Amino acid sequence: MVNPIYIIAILLGLGFLLPSINKAGIKVTVTIFFLGIIAVTAISYQWLSAFLIDGQQAVQIFTAGFKPPMSINLQMGLNEAVLITLINFGALLGAIYSFKYFAENGIQALVVFLLFILGMNGLVLTRDIFNIFVFLEITSIATYILIGMDLRLKSLSAGFKYMIAGGIASVFLLLGIILIYSKTGTLNLDGMIAAVSAAGSSQILFVGVFILIFSVVIELKVFPANGWALDVYEGSDTGISAMISATSATALLFVLYKVLPLASIDLTKMIVIIGVLTFVVSNLFAIMQKSTNRLLGYSSIGQIGLLVFVIASKDILGDNFEKIFFGLLISHFLAKAGLFWLSGIVKAEKIQDWVKIKKHPILIFMFGTFILALMGFPPFPSLAAKWSLVMILAENGSFLWISLVILASILEVLYLFRWFGYILKLEDSEEKVEKPQHQLHPVYIVTLLLYVAGFYITRSFDAGLSINFIPLAFVGILFLIDFLPVYIKNTLVMIAVSYYGYILVPGLDTLKLIFALIFLVGGILTFIPGYSVKGKRIGFYPVAAMMYVGLIGLIEAETFFQFFFAWEIMTAGSYFLILRGKRSMSHALSYILFSAGGAYLILFGFALSGAETGSILLTSLSEVHIYATMVFILLALGFMTKTASIGLHIWLPGAHAEAESDVSPMVSAVLLKAGVFGLIILFIAMRNNDVSNLFYILGWVGAITALLGNLIASFQEDAKKLLAYSSIAQLGYILFALAIMTNVGWLAAIWYSITHFLYKALLFLAVGAIVLKLKTHKMYEMGGLIKKMPMSFISVLIGIIALSGVPPLAGFGGKWLLYNAFILKGWYFQGAIIAFSGVVAFLYLFKLIYSIFLGPIKDKHRKMTEVSVWYLIPQYLIIATLMVLSSKPRMILEKVGLYFKEILPENTVVWNGDAASTFVNGKLFGVWDPFYIMIIVCVMFAVLLGFLLFASRKATKVEMFNIVYSAERPESPQTAHFSYNMFSHYRKALGFLVLPLVTNFWNFITDLFHSSSDFFRKFYNGNAQVYIMHIIGFVVFFYFILNGGIF
Amino acid sequence: MELTLTSRILYSLLGLFIVFNYGLLQSGVMRKIVARVAGRYGIPVYQSYFDIIKNLAKRSQITHGIMFYLGPIFRLGGGIGLFLFMPMIFGSIYFKNFSFTGDIVLLMYFQFFGMLGMALGAGEAGHPNSTIGISRGLAQFTTVEISFTLAIIAIAIQYQTLSVYNIVAAQQGGILHWTLFQNPVATLAGMLSFLGIMRHAPFNVVMAPQEIPIGPPTEYHSTYLGMLQSNRAILHIVESALFMNLFFGGATNWIEFIVKTFFIYFTTVFVGVVFPRYRVDQSVAWFVKVPLVIGVLGVIYATYIN
Repeated sequence: MVNPIYIIAILLGLGFLLPSINKAGIKVTVTIFFLGIIAVTAISYQWLSAFLIDGQQAVQIFTAGFKPPMSINLQMGLNEAVLITLINFGALLGAIYSFKYFAENGIQALVVFLLFILGMNGLVLTRDIFNIFVFLEITSIATYILIGMDLRLKSLSAGFKYMIAGGIASVFLLLGIILIYSKTGTLNLDGMIAAVSAAGSSQILFVGVFILIFSVVIELKVFPANGWALDVYEGSDTGISAMISATSATALLFVLYKVLPLASIDLTKMIVIIGVLTFVVSNLFAIMQKSTNRLLGYSSIGQIGLLVFVIASKDILGDNFEKIFFGLLISHFLAKAGLFWLSGIVKAEKIQDWVKIKKHPILIFMFGTFILALMGFPPFPSLAAKWSLVMILAENGSFLWISLVILASILEVLYLFRWFGYILKLEDSEEKVEKPQHQLHPVYIVTLLLYVAGFYITRSFDAGLSINFIPLAFVGILFLIDFLPVYIKNTLVMIAVSYYGYILVPGLDTLKLIFALIFLVGGILTFIPGYSVKGKRIGFYPVAAMMYVGLIGLIEAETFFQFFFAWEIMTAGSYFLILRGKRSMSHALSYILFSAGGAYLILFGFALSGAETGSILLTSLSEVHIYATMVFILLALGFMTKTASIGLHIWLPGAHAEAESDVSPMVSAVLLKAGVFGLIILFIAMRNNDVSNLFYILGWVGAITALLGNLIASFQEDAKKLLAYSSIAQLGYILFALAIMTNVGWLAAIWYSITHFLYKALLFLAVGAIVLKLKTHKMYEMGGLIKKMPMSFISVLIGIIALSGVPPLAGFGGKWLLYNAFILKGWYFQGAIIAFSGVVAFLYLFKLIYSIFLGPIKDKHRKMTEVSVWYLIPQYLIIATLMVLSSKPRMILEKVGLYFKEILPENTVVWNGDAASTFVNGKLFGVWDPFYIMIIVCVMFAVLLGFLLFASRKATKVEMFNIVYSAERPESPQTAHFSYNMFSHYRKALGFLVLPLVTNFWNFITDLFHSSSDFFRKFYNGNAQVYIMHIIGFVVFFYFILNGGIF
Repeated sequence: MELTLTSRILYSLLGLFIVFNYGLLQSGVMRKIVARVAGRYGIPVYQSYFDIIKNLAKRSQITHGIMFYLGPIFRLGGGIGLFLFMPMIFGSIYFKNFSFTGDIVLLMYFQFFGMLGMALGAGEAGHPNSTIGISRGLAQFTTVEISFTLAIIAIAIQYQTLSVYNIVAAQQGGILHWTLFQNPVATLAGMLSFLGIMRHAPFNVVMAPQEIPIGPPTEYHSTYLGMLQSNRAILHIVESALFMNLFFGGATNWIEFIVKTFFIYFTTVFVGVVFPRYRVDQSVAWFVKVPLVIGVLGVIYATYIN
C-alpha cells in the first residue's frame, strides 16, 4: 500500500515544482498536473479497494517517526478512504471541466488547484487539531484565489466575502484551539477528546469547544450565517462552485464529524437543530429563487444542513450512520457537482432560460438524473439513506425531526421539479447550447456514477437487498435505445410487459392477480395507440415503462421498502409522462407535489409502524397498536393523494386532461388503481387495529368525493377534464365501498376497480383520439361527429352506459353491489349520497356524448374521418371484455368473494347459476341475474328494432338542418348546438356545492410558502458587513442559549 | 309450480297487453278529467288509440341517422323492460314476469335505459330545443331520485329486503300493513318523487306541453311517435305499479291493480291541475329541500321502528 503521506507529498511537491516544470512547456506542465491528480486518486482508490475488498484495517500514520502528541498523525480508515477517493476523483473531474478556466489564468491556477486538493485531503486525513486549522487555511486561501481569478465584479466580491467569513471562522477556530489546548495540553484530536471528557465541567473548555465547533459549522455555511456563501455560489465560476459544493463541503463535513466528539450532549443537540433548520430554511428560500447558481447554492446549503443533522445524530443512528451519511453525501456530491457543471455548460442565468436545452435529450436526461438523486428518488443512494434515516428517527420518537425533514423535502421537490417543468415546457428559445466535450465528459461520468452508486449503496442496506433491479435495467436500456423508431420500441415494451406478466401471474393470489392484470393488461392496451405516432417519440417509452415497472413493483412488494421504492418509481415515471402534455407544466407540478407529499406520508407511516413492531413486512401493519391511529391516517392519506379523494384531488383534473391522448388512460384507468391497491393492503392489514372510526370517516370522504366529483364533472366544457373529474368520483365510490369493510362492499370496490379501468380506458382512448384529431378539448367546439366517427361513437356509447350503471352492462353490477353493501352495513345517508351522485353522472355522460357526437356538425369538421385504427383496436378489445364481464361477472366476483371471505366474512354474496343474491338472517335480501337480464334486454331490443325497421322501411334520410327552430331553419351549427354551460339551471340550484374551496385552500398554502420565502430571503441583502453581523450574531445567540442552559 | 320459459313469455306478453290497453284508456280518462277541471269537454277516452293508429299509418317518414332511429327503441325498451322486471300481481305465478332476475335496484337503474337512449336519439336530430329539454329533464330527474332513494332505503331497512316481490309480501295481511301506514314519512317522500318521475305539473317543464315546443317528443313523428306514445302508456302504469308495490301493498288481482294504480297516478294529475309549473332550477332546488328532509326522516323513522 502506498503511504497516504505521499498524497500530501505529491500535491505539495508538485505545487512547488510546477513553476519550474513550466519551463519545459505548458503541455508538459499540464500533463504532470493531471498525472499528479491521477496519482493521488489512484492512491486513494487503492486504499478504498483494500478496505472494501481485502478487509484492510484502519491504520495510523505517524509523521517524522514520533508518536503523538510529539508529532502529527494521519489516520486512514474506511471513511477516510471513501472521502479522499471522492474528493480526489471529484477534483480530477473538476480539473478536466475547469481546464479552460485554468488555462486562461496560467500556471498559477494549476498550482492553487493542487493546493486546494491538498488542503481537502489533509482535512480528511489528519488527526491533529492544529493541522486541521492549517489545512483549512490552505483550502480556504486556495478557494479565495480560485474564485477571485475570475475578474467579474460578482466573482471578485464573492471571493472577498468568502475571505472575510473564512477569516472570522479561522479566528474562532484558532481561539477555540488555544482555549482547549490550555486545559488539555494536547493538539492531538484523540488525546483532546479523551482529555475533554475526563476534565469535567470547565468554563474555559466549554467556551473553547463551543467556538471550535461553531467555527466548523460556519465554514459549513449553515443558516443563518451563510449569506456570504450564497453570493459565493452565485458569483463564482461554476467549476469552482461545483468544487465548493461537492469536494470542500465533503472535507468540512468530515472535520465536523471528527471534532464533534468534543462537544457536550447539549451542544450536539444544538447542531442537530441547526442542521435541520438549515435544511428547511434553505429549501424554503429556494422556492422563490430564479437565478440558477443561487438556487443551486440554496440547494447545496440545504443538503449540507441535512448532512450536518445526520452527523450530529450519529449516536442515534448507530450502525447505520455510515451508510446513511455516505448515501446522502454521495448523492449530493455527484448530483450537485453535475448540476453546477451543467449550469456552466448551459450558461443560463435564470432557471427559465434553461429551456434552451429542450432539444438536447441527453442534457435533459442528466439534469433529470441529478434532481432525482437530490430529492431521493429511486434508484439513487439518497433514497435508501433517507429511508433509513426516517426509520431510525421514528424508532427514537423524533417525530418533529421527521416532519421537518419531510417538509423540506417537499419544498425541494417543488423548486426542482418546477425547474424541470420550465425546461420541457416553456417556449423554446433561439439560443444555442455549445457543448464543449471536455466539460461534458465529467458530467457524463458523474451521471453514470450516480446509477452505479445507487445500485451498490441501495443494496448495502438490509432493506435494499430485496430490490429487483432487473426491470429498472430494462428502463435503462430503453433510454439507451431511444433513438430507434416508435414501432420497434412500442413492440419491445409490449413484449416486455407481456413477458413479465407471463412470469409474474402464475404465482399471485386473487387480489394481486386482479391488480396485476389491471396494470399489465392496461399497459398493453394503452401502448397499442403508440403505433399511430410517427418518428421517435423521444423520452416516452422509458418513462412509461418506468411507471409500469413501479406499478408491478407494488404487486411484488413484500416489505415496506420494496413498496416505497416501487411507489417512488411509479410516481417519477408518471410525472414525466404527465409532463409530456402540451400545457401540462403546472398540472404536472401539482401532481408531483401531491404525490411526493403522499409518498412522504407513506414513508412516515411505515416508519412509525416499523418503530413499533420492529418488522419491515407489509403484513406487520396488523401488529401496530400504540400508533395504530397515526399509522392508519398517514398511510390512508398517502394513498388517497393517489386516488384523489376530495381535498387531495386538485392535481388530478389538469394532470389527466392535459396529458397526451394515450397517456390519459394510462394515468387515469391504470395508475389511480395503485392508490386503491395501497388502501386495500392497508385495510386488510389494519382491519382489527381499532380504527373502525376512521373507516367510518373514510366512508363519508368517499361519498362526498363521489358527489362533488360528479357535480363538477357536469359543469366542465373540456371533454378530458370532464372524464378526469369523473375519475375522482369513481375513485370516491371505491373508497366508500372499501371503507364499508364487508365482503359485499369489497366486491363492489373490486368490481368498480375493474370496470372503471375498462370503461375509463375506453372513454379516454376514444375521447383522447378525437381530441388529438380535432385539436381541441372543448366540447362545444365539437358536435355532430357521429356520422364521421361511428366507431368512436359506439365506443363512447358503450362506455357511458357502462359507467352510468344502466343495466345490462357491467356498471350496474357495481351499483347493485354498492346498494346491498351500504344498506346491509347501515350507512344509509352516505349511501344515499352515493346513489345521488350515481344519478348526477348522467348529466355529464349525456353532455359528453351529445356535445361530441350529436347535434349539428361544425363546418370545419365536415371532412373529418374516423380516428386512427390504433386507437380503435384497444377500444374494441375493451368493449369485448366489458360485454363478457357484463353477462358473466361470476367468473371474477365469486373468486374475489371467496378470497375475502376469511378477511371479511360479513355479508357475502351467494351464487346460483349466474344469479347473485345476498341474504339477511337466511332471508333473501337482494338479487341480480346479469345473464338473464342481458338476454331479456337483447331480445327485447332486437324485437323492437325489427318492428321499427319494418315499420319505417321507407323513411327518408334527411340532412342536417332539416329542422325548424323558432320558425326558421338554422344556418350555422353554432346556433343549434346546445352545449356550452348545458346545466346552467343545475348550477343555479346546486352550484353552492362546487365552490372551489379546496383549490383556494391549497392556493393559500402555496402562497403562504412563497410569500414567506420571498419575505425572509431579504435577510440576505448581499452586504458583506451584514453577513459578518449574521455570523457573529449567530455565534453569540447560540452561545447564550447554550450557556443559559435552555438545552 | 314454476312456469316453463315459453309460458312465462306468453303470460308476460298477455300482461303487457293488459297494461298497454289499460294505460291508453287511463290516459284518455285522465286527460278528460283535466279538461273537465278546466271547463272543457275534452277528448273521448279512446283518443289515444286513434293517435297511435294515426301515427303508425303516416305515409311520410324521415330519419336523422342511426341514433335518432334507436331513440324510440331504447325508450319503448325501457318501458317494456321495467314491466318485465316488475311483479305485477302478487301471489300470481302468471304475472310476476321476470322479476326474479333483479330487485328494486335493477328497476331504479333500468328507468335510465329509456331516458338515456331517448336523449341521445333526440340529440341526433340536431334541434337545440330537444337538447334543452333533455338537459332540464336529466337535471330534474337527478334530484327527484334523492327522495325516491331515501324512501327505498327506508323500505329496505323496514322489510330487510330489496326484492320487490318480498316487499309486497311483507305488506300483506291488511291495509295497516301497507308501507303507507307502516312508514308514512317514507311514503310521502316516495310520492313526492313520484310527482317528479311522472313529470306532471309542477314538474313538467322538461316535457313538451303544447305551449312550449321543447323536449324530445317534438323531434319525433309517425312510427317513432307511435312507439313513444305506446311507451308512455306502459310506463305510466308500470311506474304506478312500482309505487303500488312499494307503498300500497301491491295487488293480488287485476281489479285491485287497476284501482290502485289509477288512484296513484291520479295523485300526480291532481297535483298537476292544482299547482303551477316550476322552472327547472326551482324544481331542482325544491327536491333537495322538502322531499330530501322528508326522505331523511323516513329513513330515521324506519331505523327507529326497526
